Amino acid sequence: MAGSNEINANEAKKVVPLHTWILISNFKLAYNMLRRPDGTFNRELAEFLDRKVLANTVPVDGVYSFDVVDRATSLLNRIYRCAPRESESGRQLGAGIIELEKPLSSTEIVPVIIFFHGGSFTHSSANSAIYDTFCRRLAGLVHGVVVSVNYRRSPEHRFPSAYEDGWETLKWVHSRSWLLSGKDSKVHVYLAGDSSGGNIAHHVAHRAAVSGVEVLGNILLHPLFGGEERTESERKLDGKYFVKLQDRDWYWRAFLPEGETRDHPACNIFGPRGSSLEGLNFPKSLVVVAGLDLVQDWQLSYVEGLQRSGQDVKLLFLKKATIGFYFLPNNEHFYTLMEEMKNFIKSGVC
Amino acid sequence: MNPNHPQKHIITYSTPSPGAATSSVTGGDVTEKGKNMWDEEDAGVDELLAMLGYKVKSADMVDVAQKIEHLEGVLGNDDELSQIASDSVHYNPSDLNSWLESMICELNPSPEPPMIDDSFMNATLPDSELQAIAGNAIYPPLKKLKPNCSSSSSASASASSTYNPNPNNLNQNQVVLVDSQENGIRLVHTLMACAEAVQQENFQLAESLVKQAGMLAVSQAGAMRKVATCFVEALARRIYRLSPPTPQDPPAFSDLLQMHFYETCPYLKFAHFTANQAILEAFAGKKKVHVIDFGMKQGMQWPALMQALALRPGGPPTFRLTGIGPPSGDNTDHLQEVGWKLAQLAETVHVKFEFRGFIAGSLADLEPAMFDLRTDEVLAVNSVFELHQLLARPGAIEKVLSAVKEMKPELLTVVEQEANHNGLNFLERFTESLHYYSTLFDSLESSGTGSGGLDGGGILPVTNQDKFMSEVYLGKQICNVVACEGTDRVERHETLTQWKIRLDSAGFEAVHLGSNAFKQASMLLALFAGGDGYRVEEDNGCLMLGWHTRPLITTSAWKIR
Repeated sequence: MAGSNEINANEAKKVVPLHTWILISNFKLAYNMLRRPDGTFNRELAEFLDRKVLANTVPVDGVYSFDVVDRATSLLNRIYRCAPRESESGRQLGAGIIELEKPLSSTEIVPVIIFFHGGSFTHSSANSAIYDTFCRRLAGLVHGVVVSVNYRRSPEHRFPSAYEDGWETLKWVHSRSWLLSGKDSKVHVYLAGDSSGGNIAHHVAHRAAVSGVEVLGNILLHPLFGGEERTESERKLDGKYFVKLQDRDWYWRAFLPEGETRDHPACNIFGPRGSSLEGLNFPKSLVVVAGLDLVQDWQLSYVEGLQRSGQDVKLLFLKKATIGFYFLPNNEHFYTLMEEMKNFIKSGVC
Repeated sequence: MNPNHPQKHIITYSTPSPGAATSSVTGGDVTEKGKNMWDEEDAGVDELLAMLGYKVKSADMVDVAQKIEHLEGVLGNDDELSQIASDSVHYNPSDLNSWLESMICELNPSPEPPMIDDSFMNATLPDSELQAIAGNAIYPPLKKLKPNCSSSSSASASASSTYNPNPNNLNQNQVVLVDSQENGIRLVHTLMACAEAVQQENFQLAESLVKQAGMLAVSQAGAMRKVATCFVEALARRIYRLSPPTPQDPPAFSDLLQMHFYETCPYLKFAHFTANQAILEAFAGKKKVHVIDFGMKQGMQWPALMQALALRPGGPPTFRLTGIGPPSGDNTDHLQEVGWKLAQLAETVHVKFEFRGFIAGSLADLEPAMFDLRTDEVLAVNSVFELHQLLARPGAIEKVLSAVKEMKPELLTVVEQEANHNGLNFLERFTESLHYYSTLFDSLESSGTGSGGLDGGGILPVTNQDKFMSEVYLGKQICNVVACEGTDRVERHETLTQWKIRLDSAGFEAVHLGSNAFKQASMLLALFAGGDGYRVEEDNGCLMLGWHTRPLITTSAWKIR
């Protein structure tokens, strides 16, 4: 038991830099303590341990942020924007003045990415340090706006709470006059997410396609999918690179309605209970798969499913990457990802 | 560090006077590389992890990795141990090395002591709103750190400075907007423009802008309208040089306002609760205890402490309370009245109690010799929203902290507003306070009238009067921050980071509040917070209560280094 943990620790150490190993292992350690065998979750300790960051209207590396709360639902979004290259109306941003009257641009297209943070539907928040850092990078990368959704988490709020929060945010984003851009004066929306956030992005995009709400593209970073069947990658990689299959199972049990199986359509997109995407105006997708992620078989069959449905999907397969490679800029996968995301958004913008 | 970054200089109001310790005065001036106190403490901290909220010395990286590996081995497949780890008290998770170390010590296999009986925890006494949530404060976890472990908590206390992953936190502006405020954005811009005009001493422009702002304000609704009205009034007072800039209220009235604020929202309850938790822990096992309260007011903090002491196993200690208050101006000794009520309570809960009141115009007038400090007593000094007022007079804070040190307390508890309203630059101060009070008013808005706390529990609902008086209470603070200067401006709030620098240089070090206090504070919020959105956060061993993502008040605990 302890022995196999040691071996696995050494495996993981060979493929990631020390910083990444410490970061992800620390999360793993903490998360193990928070999940209880009876399916409940130690939320207070989770909030105590989570490292959070304040928003800041003073630009840091050209990006500033502020939070918006919908009083009726208590849903919070953190908005990241690039500081204007020239100061507008002679006033320097940083005096806490937020531009909410004018559109982002009346000539250029400025992408607005709605981002759903990961955490297996259970952990983290929009203001968690790891996600705040990532969103800042993303905003700066695409010279656009990132809206990070602080969706309701399981087990306190199960399916479909997170999807509903995502949907509400999509509608909210589309209705903001200060997010308009381009000569066609509309909000140019993309959806993105890592892990459970990727799963949420898919479902929100699906609903958008069915309802005729425009989404220009989806970026799914090792999205969380699954099913009852055990796949080869799950068997081979169980416990090897930070993640155990039984932990994945716990999170699905915490998210899905009680008594449900992993073939629930929230989890198993193209499985026996999934619905077809054929003929739908589904956004083009960039799906990033980490080669050392035990969920990869499900992610790859998601890609195939999209292709079979005639949808536009690009697969970025990073063979030697583990989960969470994008939290720190200390590995080649990080830079590859940044480049791919930039091109994906840019190609939609031109 | 980007040299083009606008910098905020955190320089205290006072200049070092001859003979004063060259201690606290200039703090955190980040343009002076290497002279920054932070640089010393943060030297060798790994930058990559720092960005993500963790403070690990580069030299400790391998050690930290080994500890994680060790713990993985111990906890990996052991649900029971995981549960124990989960239930134990955690401190300062940013300091990874210490956090891991304390877990390792905690989990070293040893015969498990019996679990604590918590049936007492829900005992209530009549006429008291606050349940005595005694918990681990009185009944510390029976698992102690093994003697051969490094004293991790004290090590971590000195190792961790007030740390913030945002490298620019000295120049930071946190905004939480509530949906409808998009309409109010023009109003905000006008207020800012007015403040800018005031700063530039362009009073003609300022006058016209303040009138505009006034008109825009009345067209708003809810919290936006109220907070904007306060700022408009404050600006007007400054522009038209009304004298005195803010009306002087008799202390009885200020106390009354604060009481309504106490009823309306959880901030003060949180402050008292968390401070009491720390005090209880410091008093563990002691037979004679003494608390000096720097701002006695109506003594709202003390019934709960007294009840908690009453419920201690082995019986309560002798509890002495010294309360300090300002002169009342009408010859009534209201301190004695408060003391008398507390004495009556003490009798009903069978606690030997002694009260003494001190009237002082300023805390700086107090000398340790006045307090009849007894050597067989353990002392805690408690300050809720008092220390920032001392920043209005040169040398005052240093004098007071020095006096506290001389008294040799076991603990100094400090509760302060989490904001920098003491910058030299008026516009910055204005901006900061606008955002701070907007968030505060927004949170009040969600403490609906008549809904108060949750169902059951006999909690009194929030009345319209409570809410209104709370708004008046906050409005006065706003007026003081915006319209006053010099010794009149007493609402000189500073952030935890800033207080840490002061307290560090005065010879204090942080006593970390742990996950147990955090958890209980969260539970308290669930009971008492009228609205959704209140959040407790841990920041380097201190606890903050905020609304959504914005911390608004901070409780910290200190001991002499």
